[in-house]
Amino acid sequence: MITQEKYRSKAKKLLAEGSVKMVIGYSPGSTPDRRRPVFIRSFDEADQLVLDSNCIANLSGYLVSEGLLSDEKHVAIFLRPDGIRSINILAAESQLNVDQIIIFGFDTNGNEVRALTGEHAGEFSEFIGSIKEHPPEKSRDPLLYQIEQMNPQERFAFWKDEFSRCIKCYACRQACPMCYCRRCIVDSNQPQWINTSSHTLGNFEWNVVRAFHLAGRCVGCGNCDRACPVNIPLRLINSRMAEEVLDSFDHFAGLNPAQEPVLASFKKDDSETFIL
Amino acid sequence: MSELFEPKIIAFVCTYCTYAGADLAGTSRLKYAPNVRIIRLPCTGRISPMFILKALQKGADGVLVSGCHPGDCHFTHGNYHARRRWMVFRSLLDFMGIQPERVIFSWISAAEGGKFADLINTVTEDIRKLGPFDQYKELIRETEAPATL
Ligand code: SF4
Ligand code: SF4
Repeated sequence: MITQEKYRSKAKKLLAEGSVKMVIGYSPGSTPDRRRPVFIRSFDEADQLVLDSNCIANLSGYLVSEGLLSDEKHVAIFLRPDGIRSINILAAESQLNVDQIIIFGFDTNGNEVRALTGEHAGEFSEFIGSIKEHPPEKSRDPLLYQIEQMNPQERFAFWKDEFSRCIKCYACRQACPMCYCRRCIVDSNQPQWINTSSHTLGNFEWNVVRAFHLAGRCVGCGNCDRACPVNIPLRLINSRMAEEVLDSFDHFAGLNPAQEPVLASFKKDDSETFIL
Repeated sequence: MSELFEPKIIAFVCTYCTYAGADLAGTSRLKYAPNVRIIRLPCTGRISPMFILKALQKGADGVLVSGCHPGDCHFTHGNYHARRRWMVFRSLLDFMGIQPERVIFSWISAAEGGKFADLINTVTEDIRKLGPFDQYKELIRETEAPATL
């Protein structure tokens, strides 16, 4: 509540003095435990803003809406640590200018909400570095161990079963702040890389490609996993990929706005034990 | 099983090293398994993981990707980029249940005609042992079935 009040008045102040043109935050949703993104443009609307432990969505994807930042005005946005990491990646990939973003940083612990210190992406780098060094005690998903225990045939069967439910709605893509391409590879048909039908082959290909394009970029915000209408455990694939880039290249996505994207850079002594 | 299973293997190779190596194997009259269809590309950096998926989509039992040794890339660092990409893609395929033995990576220079012939033989034997990629082919067959209402 205190954090909510603090940020509400900050939002009012910034909007009133014209130093931001918009505040992107959360408002009450359709049920008591749901929150809905809200776009506040004037200070008298700022009382709609709520901030509590139900504010889980990563809102950073709205920043790359076409034209939003092209007038070079500032925008304020509520972000959890993973959202701040997304902004860093978007900046590193030249999708936005971090100087235009005022961050209302917060984190939750149970029902408690606390504000994070800092206002600009660069000021959080040390904090994000500490998350990399000391990942939260959230234990690894037990399903990951189970999948690793399986033999390849069983793993294939497991995913085949999961992906057979996919309806190719692309909600996972739309919900992801890192999926900003105007034209996704699944939308191109010359050549058509991926079967567009939602038969299991097409679904399999789509999910492999989605996971690959997010490897080293995903921040684990969970937007995709929550968006999937058929509950495919996308988080498992995402976290497996995040582990892979951390183990192989010591890469933790979104450390700071200048971090080189992991698959657009290399070291001469990268591991190559698998190459014959 | 009276007839020996003949795997279909697609090889994506870079034109400057591995393709030249394959050429050398040919001009040196080295014999190697005829199971490989070679697709020549400018650089390993141009070998997108999409190609590997496409090969599987079209019924390949195995895929080989090969290019210049690190330091030898005609474009100086295409293969370094490719190496990172493969590392990640390979572990993704593994996590999805596609055996790493079906998707093989190697460095073969223009002078290594012998290595090329040997590798093709080993890879063909390895994949023959694994058998056809039935699980994937089942997915492909499903796409050919008439729509159910
Ligand atoms: S892939 Fe999913 S968890 Fe990762 S950044 Fe995108 S929405 Fe968030
Ligand atoms: S959200 Fe789920 S059902 Fe929709 S395309 Fe993504 S994986 Fe498939």
